[in-house]
Amino acid sequence: MLRAAVATLRRWMNPDRVLRVTPMGRVYLVLTLGVGVGALNTGNNLLYLVLAFLLSSIIVSGVLSERVVRDLTVRRLLPDGAFAHEPFPIRYELRRRRGHAFAVAVREASTLMNAGAFAAVVSAAGPTVVRATALAPRRGPWALAAVEVSTTFPFGIFEKKRTIALADTLLVYPRRGFACEVSTAGQRQVPGDASSGAARGGTADVADLRELVPGEDARRVHWRRSAALGKPVVVVREREERRQHVLRVDPTTPSEALDSACEAAAGQARRLLADGWSVGLEVGGARLRPGSGALHERRLLAALALAGYGDAG
Amino acid sequence: MSRPLETLARDVTASIAFGAVAVSGSVPGPVLLAFPVALGLSLRGVRPLAGRRSASVVLLLAVAAALFGWATFGRLELIVAAVAFAVLVNCHRLVAEPSPQTTRQVLLTSLLVITGGAVLVGDVRFALFVFGFIVAASWTMARMVLDGPEGRREPGIDEAPARRQVAYGLGLTLALGVVLFVVFPRLSWNQAMARAPPGLGGVTGMSESVRLGGGGDIKTNPRVVFRVSLDPDPLTESLEAYWVGRHFTRFDGRQWSSTGTAQPPTRRVLMPFPRRRGARSVKQDIVLSSAYGSRTLVALDVPMHFLNGRSVGLGGAVPMNLSRVPDDQVLAMLEGNEIGYEAISVDEPSFDTSAPPASATELPALDPRVRALAVELKGPAKAPLDVATRFERELTRRYAYTLALPGEVDDPLVDFLFVRRAGHCEDFATALAVLLRIEGIPSRVTTGFLGGQRAGARYHVRAGDAHAWTEAYVDGAWRRFDATPEAGRSASPPAWLSAAIVAYETVEEWWRLRVLDYSVRDQFAFVRDVLRWPSGTDEAGEARGASLTPTGRGALVVSLATVALLALLFLPRRRGRGTHPASGLLDAIEATLRARGVDTGGKPLEEFSQSLTATNHPLGPALAHVTRRYLEARFGARPLGPREQRALLATLETPPGPSAG
Repeated sequence: MLRAAVATLRRWMNPDRVLRVTPMGRVYLVLTLGVGVGALNTGNNLLYLVLAFLLSSIIVSGVLSERVVRDLTVRRLLPDGAFAHEPFPIRYELRRRRGHAFAVAVREASTLMNAGAFAAVVSAAGPTVVRATALAPRRGPWALAAVEVSTTFPFGIFEKKRTIALADTLLVYPRRGFACEVSTAGQRQVPGDASSGAARGGTADVADLRELVPGEDARRVHWRRSAALGKPVVVVREREERRQHVLRVDPTTPSEALDSACEAAAGQARRLLADGWSVGLEVGGARLRPGSGALHERRLLAALALAGYGDAG
Repeated sequence: MSRPLETLARDVTASIAFGAVAVSGSVPGPVLLAFPVALGLSLRGVRPLAGRRSASVVLLLAVAAALFGWATFGRLELIVAAVAFAVLVNCHRLVAEPSPQTTRQVLLTSLLVITGGAVLVGDVRFALFVFGFIVAASWTMARMVLDGPEGRREPGIDEAPARRQVAYGLGLTLALGVVLFVVFPRLSWNQAMARAPPGLGGVTGMSESVRLGGGGDIKTNPRVVFRVSLDPDPLTESLEAYWVGRHFTRFDGRQWSSTGTAQPPTRRVLMPFPRRRGARSVKQDIVLSSAYGSRTLVALDVPMHFLNGRSVGLGGAVPMNLSRVPDDQVLAMLEGNEIGYEAISVDEPSFDTSAPPASATELPALDPRVRALAVELKGPAKAPLDVATRFERELTRRYAYTLALPGEVDDPLVDFLFVRRAGHCEDFATALAVLLRIEGIPSRVTTGFLGGQRAGARYHVRAGDAHAWTEAYVDGAWRRFDATPEAGRSASPPAWLSAAIVAYETVEEWWRLRVLDYSVRDQFAFVRDVLRWPSGTDEAGEARGASLTPTGRGALVVSLATVALLALLFLPRRRGRGTHPASGLLDAIEATLRARGVDTGGKPLEEFSQSLTATNHPLGPALAHVTRRYLEARFGARPLGPREQRALLATLETPPGPSAG
């Protein structure tokens, strides 16, 4: 009980609140000051009356805005991925335990993530989801430490802001729309490091089965037939293996050049994948084996987003 | 909020602010005309200044230069010029392109205008305008805030909770404003505010002079100007008594003025009349209201003694000195919300035997027709008393009473006697006084009141009872002669109007006492009353139960109401409107977890439960069960009883047993 009281007192004494005066509030404060000086100078009680109401509006603004921001919980709903220099949505789920909150603005505390969402009313009856549009200036893992919840309710003369710690990481993929031509050598299967398609097997219909030879990739073993035949057999497919391409990015490249390299690699990967290539990636010592499909593309983008940030790959 | 509604709310706010200064009567006519025009255009959606920013700014600057130029050359008071300019800026904004920015500008300029109203308007109407302005401006601002930074209202928003919240805010603003007004230290001893006349118009006419052809609505004004209790009480409903205020003896053909100079102030003023045995005296306890508007004391004819003067304010009565101006009047030496004093009069017409001053027989240059009329009206009468009585009777018989004023004429007396042949009490009193002087009889014009209506134990005398009559020095004493026809001597308003006026005056008295004249002395009195510990004895020393003073009780009630309002806003409610019953369980779960040293970190319960389960936290399984049950109760159709709630919470409180593995 005592601990709870002390905690409550501490919260009251050191609230994570910032009070900012809006442009309208600045004029309001100047007028209030003027009325105050006039009242003190002249002794006119009607000026005192106006002054009293101006001051009480300021106090009531503080009281009601505190009521708005003190009982709000925020959950951030990040998108699967975002591309640098492209607007992307961030959604916030606002909840209230009791009563209502009004004119709630939510914004990322990170200045680079310029997201801002607004909810006119947040009710305890259910969560309110609002959408903000954000923009990341460059690729990489963006650490989102907190969100700022603010309101100018009720009179718009002050903005009360509360910072809510909400740790999260948003992976920003390299910028789109920047792709160099893939070298012609690559189209002859050796752009970068292309390996033999026969070593991997194809993806078309099954043509035959043959016995596994030593040194061959065990993943091509057809286990059911092998069990039936009592010896390991591998699948032989009709079509030739898909062309493969492994992109290389040197993570030790200086920062801006690395960003450009990643953007180029991402553009190439997207183009190659669209042309039916299997695309792999090597970033420093880490390697992503060639593959295809949307999921693989995401993996490539994620690896490129993390390139140079220490834990790439 | 849709734009038209926002614009309408803005226009209403600006109109209220304009009304506050318009009723002052100080704002120049063109400005008074400009605002309704701008408002009309705004309401019709006509925006002639939209997109003409530069031209309109130049126009405003020119208007500002003109207004302040007038102020510089003394043609306009500076504060009036400032208020007029603020009103014109509002006009400009009303007919500009509507936008949130414009709305904010209108609201702020309206605030300036209403502040100007505080200086220009002093009566209780200002309270109504201030109240209306606070409500309208707060509402407009709150709606703008709810529109968000984009200025667009989200569709499907339930506005009812917001309306309730703004209503709470308004209530708090008003209550807190009153408290701040009471406690804000009055650091200035100045009282620079012009004491505006009471809201219902002109007052008693106790001016420094009586100017013929001037005047106004005095006779039709039903405001109570003083209340009096009489001893002995005549116990009549209507008191047809003459109340003497001032005597005027010097007449220049157009205007009556005073001659005497005030004597040093004293606590009591005794008229220098010799006392006579057997004369019946009447004691009066008189309170001049704020509507009286003068420091001249009145008393029943013939006044003999003035004493116990006091200036009455919120902090109580302050003793006050009185001063006599020989042959003229008795003055209060302080101003106050109300002036109280006692007077003793003698009910005997010829009691005042003071010798007439030389000016009582002086005559200005007169039209020969006036002297001829004196001869005609005098007839065969010889004795001064007969002459005076005959003049009085003939004037009453031959001339009519009217409130219509002649305006500026060369000779008001001639205009009354020979042109219009009708006038009001001052015309009759002047004519009679001049006719008497023509016949060599000293005379003077007396202003005061005639009447008095019973109200409870006291009599009320109204501004409409203001009257003027003549006194002639006949047979060694001043005697009263009233030539005004009966119909014009006093005006009694209808009963309903009297009741309405009394109600208004009650409010206005309260306003003047509690607001306009509130001072640092009243603050001390307030603090003293609030802090005074209830005593067991009353003023007479008799035992009574301990109780707070009225001020203390009021302060207690206001404090409790404020605390209750704040509690209503902030304290958790288990089943408040808009709160699901299961929300109480959520609070209890979180409290239990906190007690166990587990912090949810602000995460939603479902997510937090999953994280506990993922990390094999000992509380994970129990919390998962509780969470599932909570979600069923919150979002499903499976209500949760109090007993089950307690059981669920108990599973979180019980320490987990030893792991089976």
